[in-house]
Amino acid sequence: MLLASAHAHAREPPTPANQSVPTPDASESETTESGTTEPSVLAAPHDPDAVRRQSWIACVNGAAPCVRSRPARALLLSLGMAGGALAAGLLFGLGDRLAPGDPATLLVGLSGLAGAGALAGMLAGRLGPDGPAAPDRLRPPTLSLAHAYSGPQILDETRPHSLTLRIAPNLFLPHGHGRARLFGHVGGWLNPARDVDPRPQLTEALPEQQGTAPRVLEQRHVSIGVGIDLAVNLPYPVLAPRRSAQLGAAELRYRPEVQIRRDRFAPDTPESTVLERTMLLPLTAGVRWHLSPRQRFTVYFGPRFDFVAFSDPASAGGSDRLHRGGPQRGLLYGEAWYDIDVPLTARPRRDDRVRSLHATGQLTLGYVHSGFDGQGFDFGPVVGFLGPLHLAWSTRLRPVGSPVAAQLGAFARIGSGTTLGLELGVVAPDLHARGRTSR
Amino acid sequence: MTRPRALAVPLPGSTLRAPLVLALMLAVPGTSGCVQPHCTSPLYSEAECRVIAENQRARLRTSVGVELRFQDPEATDDSTWDARGLLEELPDGSVRARVAGAGRFSLSMRAPEDHDVVFPLTVTNVDPEAVLGIGIRGLELQQPLDPSNGSTRTIDVTLAEGQVQWLVGERPCPSRYRLAVTADIQTNPTQFERIIDRLQEESQHSAGIDEPLVGLLIAGDLTEASRDEELDTILELLARVPFPVAVTAGNHDIYRPNRPYYNLSFGPGNHAFDVCGVHVALLDTGSGALARSVQARLPELLHRGDSRFLVVGMHHPPYPGSTGAGWSQEDRAQALLAELAREEADLVVAGHNHALHDFSDVPVGDVTLREIIVGTGGAYQGAGVPRYGYLRLTFDDDAGTMETCFVEVPPVGYAEPPNDPPNGLPYCAPGS
Repeated sequence: MLLASAHAHAREPPTPANQSVPTPDASESETTESGTTEPSVLAAPHDPDAVRRQSWIACVNGAAPCVRSRPARALLLSLGMAGGALAAGLLFGLGDRLAPGDPATLLVGLSGLAGAGALAGMLAGRLGPDGPAAPDRLRPPTLSLAHAYSGPQILDETRPHSLTLRIAPNLFLPHGHGRARLFGHVGGWLNPARDVDPRPQLTEALPEQQGTAPRVLEQRHVSIGVGIDLAVNLPYPVLAPRRSAQLGAAELRYRPEVQIRRDRFAPDTPESTVLERTMLLPLTAGVRWHLSPRQRFTVYFGPRFDFVAFSDPASAGGSDRLHRGGPQRGLLYGEAWYDIDVPLTARPRRDDRVRSLHATGQLTLGYVHSGFDGQGFDFGPVVGFLGPLHLAWSTRLRPVGSPVAAQLGAFARIGSGTTLGLELGVVAPDLHARGRTSR
Repeated sequence: MTRPRALAVPLPGSTLRAPLVLALMLAVPGTSGCVQPHCTSPLYSEAECRVIAENQRARLRTSVGVELRFQDPEATDDSTWDARGLLEELPDGSVRARVAGAGRFSLSMRAPEDHDVVFPLTVTNVDPEAVLGIGIRGLELQQPLDPSNGSTRTIDVTLAEGQVQWLVGERPCPSRYRLAVTADIQTNPTQFERIIDRLQEESQHSAGIDEPLVGLLIAGDLTEASRDEELDTILELLARVPFPVAVTAGNHDIYRPNRPYYNLSFGPGNHAFDVCGVHVALLDTGSGALARSVQARLPELLHRGDSRFLVVGMHHPPYPGSTGAGWSQEDRAQALLAELAREEADLVVAGHNHALHDFSDVPVGDVTLREIIVGTGGAYQGAGVPRYGYLRLTFDDDAGTMETCFVEVPPVGYAEPPNDPPNGLPYCAPGS
């Protein structure tokens, strides 16, 4: 699919939608310059080695200004390896005694994702050459509903299905200066999680159960989060075009956020307790690097503050008054994402009829340095240091000429368990702030 | 160059295929026929599997039909049991019982219905000062002390057919007493041996001033890779400790998941006991979080009863600070912190981070908890002079106080502690 769609690009005439100048989460409609589909190989054609070498550093077809995607990915891979080596050095050289070991483990995760993303990007680049920006590039849908499930693995236990309503409207600042996105969600488990006590001394035949272990814990869960993601373009090329390495544009990001989880635990007693956990991320900053018109690496990090509030045990109908207090300084928070766009309808139909629907796909690899939602990634004796991995595929379907699109997604979170999910969303037109007219 | 046609998948089909495949993947695990009870396919790196293992090893039916069960010291009948120790029958027909904690313990022994039995019972990890009694429940007769064997007692048990006898033990305590805590031995049992030497010195000294050292808590990572020879080495070293040692599992102790090596060597990782005026709960977080069934039992495990103090130990610190060495499931860590706040725990001790940290003010709701990471049992600490040793807790039941200080046991080549004491946690006075 990658190959088919990317390869097909060469036959499509350049349109404004094919341009590659990135804006923060830019949609194609915001680009203005026209590009070219001709490769911009700079080598003298009679020198085969020079052609091979310079083709490796060639600008992406159709990208204007130039983006040298292969050197950019090689640089990201090198940075990932260097970051991993630095983190390993910090952890093993300075050792576990390193009081602030958290930055090192954060660096391990972010560097690992950078390296894995660069390799995935290289593979995608091999399957189909980097083309200009995919038309109708994917962003989080304006409004979406996601369902996730981790599957029942144990007899008589119940794993919850979760349903989450998300919003992510965008406001683009005038003159391409940046973008603000309000994002938030409200959701929870559709059914309680139930767990059994497997101790052999409790074994007995139980009514309404297949197995012999009694159910001892029931948990209900609600999740709320809200934040704002501000993105500002850095100038590109940074230097004069002839002096620039042309390794892709970058954005700076600032994303303050608060996440709240509320759980009701009912052990095998008439009483239940409420636990409310709040994660405050006031200073999360990030960078997005457009390694090619179709590939982006995004990293966020910042301090984290946790509030844990709890209730006393209370029977049904009793008071759930929470004991609240001050913040704990939590682990550093971080995220890393690598997105690969896949235009699915770039090639003309076989019957030469005009398409009525445009489809664009996106593959996303991610790493979140947080076990806040209970999914740390452990392997061997490496337990408790890393957060979950994310893998997602999304497809945006837009009727030709329609201001509204549908967006379907499937995702997996891989940590101490694997959660699979589907997301169905609607993409509404972005809001655009009106610029002040200068006289 | 022509691309292989097989890769040019028709697009409308591929657009629909991914959601369909995922929907199928979601539906398949939803069918109840695929699910099994916990640990049907044993994988002892999973916390719930070790819950089963630690409880299975706390009861034993011997080859001559005697049923032995570790019990809650308050239990009055032997209809069930509790994971408070490790039972095994040796090839010579004798039974070895390792008591998991310090302080009070109880073991029920039921004879077969059709014949009398006599068997030697060796009880290990018992305080030399403990008073043991054996007999019908409530009428146990005191056993003579045998201090020559340190923390090991051997008793010849005689049971009439169908009879149930109980072995109970309790350590008499003065108002002031001590506990020692360390964690993370891993690749360096040699340094841990030096720590044991220091503990032996302190045990003699503290007994002399009527402030006995009544137990050592080890918060996980006794071994590097849970290999047999590592486990044997640690067991040999622990046999030299002149008072009970209570342990729990760390992530390195469950490295080989095909058998419950940790539980076969030490017994339970999730257990609670009362020693003098302290209720100690040790929790198995070797998998990076508590088992859900243990989370459900927290109110029971943390219930201090008549004890004045509550000390809770585990390998992974529920509050990691900026060490990066937290739980892989932070939601469960924070649920535990809430439970600890509800029970107003006096101290949380942990390891995992090979360092000494004193988090004296961890806000949880309107309660402030204290957590000390004491991963100083010998494991590699990186560049510079490592800080090895143990945390000393001195309790005073009359005054209701708990004092903390750190005993640094320098590595070979250093006569005095080469490190400065950390903030808030002083070094214990030399010779004390």
